[in-house]
Amino acid sequence: MNFDLSDDQRDAAAGAREFFTGSVPLSAARGALDGDGAPAPGRKALADIGFLGITVPESAGGAGGSVLDLAVVAEQGGAVLAGPSLVTAARAAVLLEGAPDLAAQLADGSAAVAVLDGPPTGSAPSVDAADATLFLALDGDTLVAGEGEVVPGRPLDATRGLARVRLTSRRVLAEDAGALWARARRVGAVVMAAEDLGAADRAVLMGVEYARQREAFGRVIGSYQAVKHMLVDAWVGVDQLRSLVWWAAWAADSAPEELPLAAAAAKAYAAEVFERAAETVVQVHGGIGFTWEHDAQLYWRRAKTDRLLLGDAAEHLDAVARLAEAGALG
Amino acid sequence: MDFDDTPDEAAYRERVRTVLADRAGDLLHVAPGEPVDARSREADLRATQRVLAEEGLVGVTWPREYGGQGGTLVQQAIVAQELARARVPTLINHIGIGMCGPTVIAHGSDDQRSRYLARLLRADDVWCQLFSEPASGSDLAALRTSAVRDGEDWVVNGQKVWTTLAHVSDFGILLTRTDPERPKHAGLTMFVVDMHAPGVTVRPLRQMSGGADFNEVFFDDVRIPDSERLGEPGEGWRVALTTLMNERVAIGGAGSDIGQSAESLAAHARDRLPHLDPERQALARQAVGRALVAALAARYTGYRRFTTLSQGGVPGPEASAGKLGGTAAARLVADAGVRLLGDDAVLGATADGDETWQKAQAYVPGIAIAGGTDQVLRNILGERVLGLPAEPRTDKTAPFSSSGGRR
Repeated sequence: MNFDLSDDQRDAAAGAREFFTGSVPLSAARGALDGDGAPAPGRKALADIGFLGITVPESAGGAGGSVLDLAVVAEQGGAVLAGPSLVTAARAAVLLEGAPDLAAQLADGSAAVAVLDGPPTGSAPSVDAADATLFLALDGDTLVAGEGEVVPGRPLDATRGLARVRLTSRRVLAEDAGALWARARRVGAVVMAAEDLGAADRAVLMGVEYARQREAFGRVIGSYQAVKHMLVDAWVGVDQLRSLVWWAAWAADSAPEELPLAAAAAKAYAAEVFERAAETVVQVHGGIGFTWEHDAQLYWRRAKTDRLLLGDAAEHLDAVARLAEAGALG
Repeated sequence: MDFDDTPDEAAYRERVRTVLADRAGDLLHVAPGEPVDARSREADLRATQRVLAEEGLVGVTWPREYGGQGGTLVQQAIVAQELARARVPTLINHIGIGMCGPTVIAHGSDDQRSRYLARLLRADDVWCQLFSEPASGSDLAALRTSAVRDGEDWVVNGQKVWTTLAHVSDFGILLTRTDPERPKHAGLTMFVVDMHAPGVTVRPLRQMSGGADFNEVFFDDVRIPDSERLGEPGEGWRVALTTLMNERVAIGGAGSDIGQSAESLAAHARDRLPHLDPERQALARQAVGRALVAALAARYTGYRRFTTLSQGGVPGPEASAGKLGGTAAARLVADAGVRLLGDDAVLGATADGDETWQKAQAYVPGIAIAGGTDQVLRNILGERVLGLPAEPRTDKTAPFSSSGGRR
């Protein structure tokens, strides 16, 4: 058994960390929330460094990498609340397997792609739709691409670029696309779980750093078991989430029959773990953690948003139970 | 990334499977999750371990010079996985193999090693670990059982408790206080004690789950020769740390479930869910799904630890997270399993007499306490992994006798 990243994947993660740290200050997420600027690093920068095409085939101008390759990069983007999301790139790359011209535009950033959830006549709030120009949607059982009329709402987390969209043009990409759509959504869920992993990890770290400095009653608050145990529980969740994210990404690449179970488990667990980490980092900071100025709320906003995107925990837990009943555990 | 054995591991696993199949007639087998009472099955359990020892499947990681196989932690994990797969119960001497024996190897005399270790591996002698006391559980170094030097012997008085397998044990490793005037950690000494010696009294304790796996042990003027000391007088804490480090290796988890398995819950859900009221089914599925996700999270985290072992690493303090996560999963799995019973969930067994899930439920509180309570594990992780400071401890440097510890 070798349930670990390869050296190349570790190097890629280190490179991605450097890129995201250098190009995504948390002030960008705050600025977007205040209506003062866009999420960073933005589509162009992500395309230029090649992250939008990690899972796009080389023949279409991508890197031809694996979902796991993408997930280790997405984790680093999640840590700094980067936008747009690599969920969109992952999901679109699956949907555009039969449309290499559009896949190439996804990878090089010449098309601003978003994938719509819900009916194309009026979608649910969909990730990265707010500034997109090319939308992918499932119309009945037909996969379509088109332009659309975009209606952003007031954001809870401005880095997700959520907007409702009504398609105004329609190019048929594939008929009988239900299974393809479901696989793309599962791969998207895995990558979102990877972004949530990075964000939850960073939130716990913020809480730990503060708990090592802040003093109350004559000693640092991290020495009190009431505070320490809260942080440990959040950390254990993050550690275990990493295992499910790796497994699910590996399944997407190498064991497609395990993907439904693994993706549902990873997404359900990510929702729970990230929410707990975000609530913990606010609580550990006390009053300052509840202020608009503090960065804790930016993680909290992402957690409260992501937990409901691409299926909430209830949907995924139900799927896990049904798959297990049907023999998915063997 | 892959979940396959390396060629070496696959060959080893194949050999283990072959042995377990060839010797199946000589081995005890139980249903998955079925508790085994050590007292009533003692002869079968000892015989089973003896057969496995003959086949080289006991003491896998022990050095060859002491009767072990000189193998790797991965090989040991493979043996454990295959024993579980073949439904062979936990070895009767698992505490001796995992904790007592390694302590004798590290701190015993040549004479002790030659007298004890081979017999331990064959289950000719069963061993127990005499650490916890009524007034020192998590705070092990506060123990009060005293050993006083008298000529060539030490005279031991006091009481141990929660001693698993003491009722079938022949020997134990015994942590005592030999110098109450020194700080709590500095006045301890470890011995090998003959459990059949005059003055040793073992009383089984019945657990809330109904079984009786552990005991209280009383020592009344028990004489132990100085030659049975493990390590120097006053070095008992250091010796105990050897034992506890081996305990971490033994229970750190490498991908095997604690309590009822995810598979058994899935099978149970398949059987029972259709019999619940339709409006209860959605709720039950949520509980089953949540439990399975927790179990899978713990299992795949175990696979990461297993990989560390496979690459030649050793378990660090993060292994404590494995037990914490496994315990949390076991709690959810047991709870979901009980809920699936419908009306029978409020009874101690189902109408047809099955008590699997009620037992699992009643066993969970013990899992969260034994081998490091959830709270102690959180302290270990908080302090050694997250780098948070320990709670101040007023008793650490004062003489034990001045900190309320005098008998």
